[in-house]
Amino acid sequence: MTNEELNALAVNKSVDARGTACPGPLLEAKRAIGTIEEDEIMEVLSADEGTRIDIPKWCKKQGHEYLGTVEESGYFKIYLKKQ
Amino acid sequence: MGKMVIGLSSGSIDKLTAAGVIMSGAAADDMEIEVYILLTTARAFMKGNENLQDSVADLPHLKDEFFARLKENNVPTWVEFFEQAAEFTDVKVYVCSLAGKIWGGVKMEDFNHLVTGFCGIGQYIDAAKEAELHINL
Repeated sequence: MTNEELNALAVNKSVDARGTACPGPLLEAKRAIGTIEEDEIMEVLSADEGTRIDIPKWCKKQGHEYLGTVEESGYFKIYLKKQ
Repeated sequence: MGKMVIGLSSGSIDKLTAAGVIMSGAAADDMEIEVYILLTTARAFMKGNENLQDSVADLPHLKDEFFARLKENNVPTWVEFFEQAAEFTDVKVYVCSLAGKIWGGVKMEDFNHLVTGFCGIGQYIDAAKEAELHINL
């Protein structure tokens, strides 16, 4: 997906994990995914480089769909769809 | 998703924190976790010792800087890491009976809330053999 498409997604849950370092954002994502329904979209905000790598891998292992990452100034917006 | 076994041979804050970080990753993957507490590690798991900050195994001359950086980066304490992992998956923490004795821990009530029970070294060896992932710190 392009950055424009990702930015235009209707997000069902936004997790702001910019205040935590790895592995905090991953655990916050795991905690939050339980609060949304299948096919709903979650956005994880993180300033941590490791999280940018970990969340797509975690999605693959957990069976969720990783949609893409948008780089903002000083942080990332990581999008995934719960499966 | 399998089982991870950690053999923890150091009760220093850096090793305990490293174990906590790894446990968090395994918990995110829904792996079961077993931690085996060996020798000097048992001291940190004695009741009342959770907040001790008197030991780092690596770069001891930079201890103060290390602790300052942990705080600056909002890194949870090792106890919080262990508790956090247990929120997501089955975590069992076993204290080697010899390690317990060395620090005066001979009954379960001598240890903090993170500890599941005592173990013999044979249990650790069997668990390590059977686990998908075995890490020794």
